[in-house]
Amino acid sequence: MPRISPAVARAAIVLCILAVWEITTHLSSASRILIAPPSEIFWQVVNILATTSNVPKFYPNAWITIQEFIGAFVITAALGVALGFLFASSKLIGDAFEPILLVLYAIPKVILYPLFVLMLGIGMVPKIIFGITVGIFVVIFNTSAAVRQIDPDYVKLAYSLGYGRLMTFFKIILPAAAPTILAGLRLGFGYTVIGVMAAELLVVTDGLGSLIDWASFNYYTPQLYGLIFITLTIGVAGNSLFSVLERRWVR
Amino acid sequence: MAIIEATSIRKSFFDAATGRETVILDNISISATENDFLILLGPSGSGKSTFLNIIAGLTPHNGAPGQVRVHGQPVLGPNPKLIAYMFQDSVLLPWRTVIKNIEFGLEAQPLSKEQRRKRALKYLDMVGLRDFADYYPRQLSGGMAQRVALCRALALETDIILMDEPFGALDEQSRIILGDELVQIWRKIRRTFVFVTHSLTEAVYLGERIAVFTARPGKIKTEIKNDLCRPRAIGSPEFNRMVDTLWAHLKEESITALNREKAGEDRIALPKE
Repeated sequence: MPRISPAVARAAIVLCILAVWEITTHLSSASRILIAPPSEIFWQVVNILATTSNVPKFYPNAWITIQEFIGAFVITAALGVALGFLFASSKLIGDAFEPILLVLYAIPKVILYPLFVLMLGIGMVPKIIFGITVGIFVVIFNTSAAVRQIDPDYVKLAYSLGYGRLMTFFKIILPAAAPTILAGLRLGFGYTVIGVMAAELLVVTDGLGSLIDWASFNYYTPQLYGLIFITLTIGVAGNSLFSVLERRWVR
Repeated sequence: MAIIEATSIRKSFFDAATGRETVILDNISISATENDFLILLGPSGSGKSTFLNIIAGLTPHNGAPGQVRVHGQPVLGPNPKLIAYMFQDSVLLPWRTVIKNIEFGLEAQPLSKEQRRKRALKYLDMVGLRDFADYYPRQLSGGMAQRVALCRALALETDIILMDEPFGALDEQSRIILGDELVQIWRKIRRTFVFVTHSLTEAVYLGERIAVFTARPGKIKTEIKNDLCRPRAIGSPEFNRMVDTLWAHLKEESITALNREKAGEDRIALPKE
């Protein structure tokens, strides 16, 4: 049997699905309002990006969403990692506050969003904060777990070699915890994106969410698919950034 | 002249569960001279590793009147300029290559990058692992990892190297081979080795002097001078005689330790430092 590389197999299955999708949409009697064939979605994406479609103000709206993604994730990452280290740094702090965190984690965050809008208005701020509340928990939990899982012998080794606290942190704790923290950041990014998009669709003002809502409301089905595809691509691009980082840092 | 001098060391802690004081080490006095190869031999749970940690300055003891002096100075904490410490596991950092792991030992000291590299290479040569300088720890066998750990300890160029059952996790053959290499290195660099083990064969094979610990609370039962000429042959009549002598001292202690383990009495949890 000839050897097939995973990449080829993956491409083949994706092409297969697209082909079946294309053919069935042409053959079936399903309404074009419900489903669009991949070829039409592709042209819509090209048109949207070239601003030759009827999608209004695509780039300003996309830029708003990207800013929200970045803002929400940067704060999620910085605050989440810092809190994770804090919880792992002392048993008292960890034992005292982690139960609270677990309760907050279990709450369906969506029910809080009207409150955010009430308090913060309808600009980017409530959407960013909502993204943070959805994404931050996994970052905190992964970071504190990463620090707790460090082999105590590593710390003892550094101590026996005359390392101070600061050097132990940078030369032992940080590199030893990095792979798990990075895995947490990757998940956190995914959740943050979900949070921001959910916020955009809950209270529609601007951003890609508002365009998706517009397309859906007007039955512009190919545009709707195109916009969904573009939004997904932004998320996937962010995610693949982590793959690059992981390959560089994690051995 | 004694380079290490431990006098009346006592280590105990208050066990909140039983409301009693648990004594780990009871009035231990021992010294080691320059170029000594001292073995601390004892049943499991006899506190020999704890004692090694106390000499290293990694674990506090009960304090006065007990005292550990190295070169006449009291030991108050770890001192990597005087004492190198080798763990039972290799404790190599998985994100660093072999040579970077050895350099890690020197990074807390005021040495330039080139000096660190030079020193690391010198001792990699000594343990015969120069070709593996750029390997990662996961690519090494247990025996090789332990050689790198030894190399990291040697590269500190301290007068004293303390070893806590460094070959305990290895198979018997690797254990003998590494022991052999260790003796050769010891003869070459003339430093003071203190080596914890519970293996009689290892003790007789390596040691110049063997201190036998009692079951908990650890005391020194006897100190035996081992003047078998090197290279020593495992299984030779004089080797076996020495093992028999040691066993005569150790047997009773091992039985006590074992019975205690059976009774579940030995499940003492040492408090974290």
